[in-house]
Amino acid sequence: MVPILLGTCFIIFVLFNMVAGDPTQLLLGKHATAKQMLELKRELGLDRPFFAQYLDIVKSAFTFDFGRSWSTKQEIIEMIKIGAMPSLTVSIPAFILSTIVSIAVSLIVSFFRGGKLDRIMVFACVAMMSISSLAYILFAQKFLAYELGLFEISGYEPGFPYFIPYILLPVLIWVVLNLGPDVRFYRTIILDEIYQDYVRTARAKGLSEKMILFKHVLKNAMIPIITYVVIQIPFLILGALLIESFFGIPGLGGITLNAINSSDFPVIRAMTVLSAVAYIIFSVITDVLYTLVDPRVRLK
Amino acid sequence: MNNFKLLASIMIPLVLLCSGCTKKRDLSIKELQISVPQKVKGMDPIFANDRYSSNEIARVYEGLLEYHYLKRPYTLVPNLASEMPKVSADGLTYTFKIMPGVFFHDDVAFSNGKGRELVAEDFVYSIKRLADPKLQSTGWWILDGKVKGLNDWREANSGKETVDYSQEVEGVKAVDKYTLQFKLSREFPQFLYSLAMPFTFVVAKEVVEHYGKEFLNHPVGTGAFVLNKFDQSNKITYTKNPNFRDKFYPSNATEDFKSQGYLADAGKKLPLVDKVVVNVIIENQPRWLNFQKGNLDYIGIPKDNFDSAVTPSNGISDELQKKGIELLITPSLDVTYTAFNHDNVLFQNVYLRRAMSLAYNVEKSNELFYNNTAMPAQSIVPPGIAGHMDSYKNPFVGPNLDEAKKLLAKAGYRDGKGLPEITYDCPNSTVSRQTGEFFRKRMAEIGIKIRVIQNPWPELQKKITNRTVMMYGIAWGADYPDAENFLQLLYGPNKAPGANGSGYNNDEFNKLFALSSRMQDSPERTALYEKLNRMAAESVPIIYGVHRQTYLLKHGWVKNFVNTDFESGIEKYMNIDLELKKKALEKL
Repeated sequence: MVPILLGTCFIIFVLFNMVAGDPTQLLLGKHATAKQMLELKRELGLDRPFFAQYLDIVKSAFTFDFGRSWSTKQEIIEMIKIGAMPSLTVSIPAFILSTIVSIAVSLIVSFFRGGKLDRIMVFACVAMMSISSLAYILFAQKFLAYELGLFEISGYEPGFPYFIPYILLPVLIWVVLNLGPDVRFYRTIILDEIYQDYVRTARAKGLSEKMILFKHVLKNAMIPIITYVVIQIPFLILGALLIESFFGIPGLGGITLNAINSSDFPVIRAMTVLSAVAYIIFSVITDVLYTLVDPRVRLK
Repeated sequence: MNNFKLLASIMIPLVLLCSGCTKKRDLSIKELQISVPQKVKGMDPIFANDRYSSNEIARVYEGLLEYHYLKRPYTLVPNLASEMPKVSADGLTYTFKIMPGVFFHDDVAFSNGKGRELVAEDFVYSIKRLADPKLQSTGWWILDGKVKGLNDWREANSGKETVDYSQEVEGVKAVDKYTLQFKLSREFPQFLYSLAMPFTFVVAKEVVEHYGKEFLNHPVGTGAFVLNKFDQSNKITYTKNPNFRDKFYPSNATEDFKSQGYLADAGKKLPLVDKVVVNVIIENQPRWLNFQKGNLDYIGIPKDNFDSAVTPSNGISDELQKKGIELLITPSLDVTYTAFNHDNVLFQNVYLRRAMSLAYNVEKSNELFYNNTAMPAQSIVPPGIAGHMDSYKNPFVGPNLDEAKKLLAKAGYRDGKGLPEITYDCPNSTVSRQTGEFFRKRMAEIGIKIRVIQNPWPELQKKITNRTVMMYGIAWGADYPDAENFLQLLYGPNKAPGANGSGYNNDEFNKLFALSSRMQDSPERTALYEKLNRMAAESVPIIYGVHRQTYLLKHGWVKNFVNTDFESGIEKYMNIDLELKKKALEKL
């Protein structure tokens, strides 16, 4: 974990300190003078030796003390804390729902594999994936929220249960958006298992299709499913950029985008380091989960 | 049938649940609902360098002066000053009387939590904060080199661990509790505009010290509204300041405002609304839909909705009119332009610059990119301020391809032969790319090859500063309503990273500009501004684009709304007709 983090920090450092432009003019605005840019560079510590600046990044990766945003002057860890909750209130229910619905649909179409329902679903999945996510958002916002008045058009109120009216439509769209790729993926995995020898044996023993599907096939398909599901979790924290932006969810997606647009290096650095840490942690969790679903897998 | 029942039993409660979940409006109080298209930075006046932050800051904080709400051309009037300042004969000393009996908002930072009275010393402190080298304010430019001793104070404290605020500065002094005096190091007639800008709005030392680095999230001013809830990326809520001084809606206005009924609330105590809610809505569609539903009181018209909202004759569409929505069109104090890099020998050839300007079709660009709503610019100073010449027609504003070709030949590049490929840098938005492509095609018509390069905004700024661009597209909005703010874009000593990104450097222009910048407002100065503006037109240091206009929509229930280039603090003048709102909402 440590070498990966050090490497990540090094890449971040090279990208922002050596490749990216000088942020001082952007921060000072249209009236910046050369003198003031130099002064700001000093205040931000950008005139210090490269190694000292690299060490700062490494330190922040371990202490989570990312300092303050250059652009908004806010404490970055506070920005992340404040932004994480709205992102999670959308992404967690959406993720759970979309996973359950997708697996359920995949099991059903696998049950009717080769039949009309299966073919219709495969066609529907490809069709759904072909449509831009923006089209779903624009359509749902205009017709379900504005024309029919079923949902809030946009906005967010922090705290339970106040946020519920605001997340319903984003969650619904998230589920629909994921249905296509997820069902195709899970269906492939399940079908792969269905043609295994142990399934044939189970059938020969007289087990019902339902029992085979839910007890044996699903269990054996769990390793790729877990890999696919768990590795998505770190990205849930970062939020869904487009959905957050259109529905006015004040989550982390917007913070990152804002930081990129304003060359707010400390915030971009913090978000990159956090993603790297989360990715590493959840990769480890995935490995641990393998041992639970398949005793043949052992951690060494 | 059973399946249908099952589906219905799931769907009906779900739909009812959803319907019940939409938020109900509170129509018992006058609540102004507005939107901003980006996250709001903190609320520290010294960092108010973008429109959205400065608007939020001005709801809570105030300055010595402000622009009269109902007078055009823009006119400065006292705000926290009890009268306009006394200016010494040499134009260097400005003495202000501070209004007595003005109190800061109640806050825990004050003893007993009660806001204390505002005194002259608060302004001295606030001005020093603006100059504080450790804070690196984005507004330092307004006073840089202008107030006696302030630069020395900044220099002396630069690099120190703590900045010494007790050290006196000759140029900014509290003569007594209610008297504030500025001494300038050189004549700078635009100085008074600085005192109406949020950068110089007054803060209380004890509040700054109490909150430390978190001060930007705890604004405590003397303004009409008190910050109630600050969620900079979602919603900002203000409530009426219960202790706001006796400040009244203006009783006089210029004719156009009078005739439009803007004096209906004359003499009423401000603010007129109970609450202001600022919603951060980044995307155009939700902002547009929320406005149409009545969740927002006014909005700028998104580009994609322009044709459905505004008729070709600049009227409002029938559909919106039926909903009681009104259209407001206001010229903006700005200019868009394509700059040459004058460090490049190529562009020191005036015939080439003129040829390119004549090849550019500004009318077509107005049609394509501004829905024909902007005004083609003849020079750099926009209409509405002294120095602009209404009847002036720049002989080098295109399109005039025949003349452009002749001038190109005169420049030594007949049909573009011998000219290298010219790069045009622009930001990486879709509209900027389209503008660049449009420029490329127009230049191709006279044989000039252009390559469009898109850049992230910081990269473009870096290129301009490092002088590695050849040409680039940009716009400038007024900081204050004075031609000086536009003419300085061509003043040699302001070369990038200063505001003169093109690096234009003409001795005659520089000399006259320096002279005008020391003159008080007078017919002589206006004549000089006009001369400079004409020079700026005819030597074509940049290719002029347009002066834009703002198209806003508001609901009929919003009263006293005035669209202005300097909108800081305008919400206190606005009113809401609740009866009208209740009726109108039924139709939406």
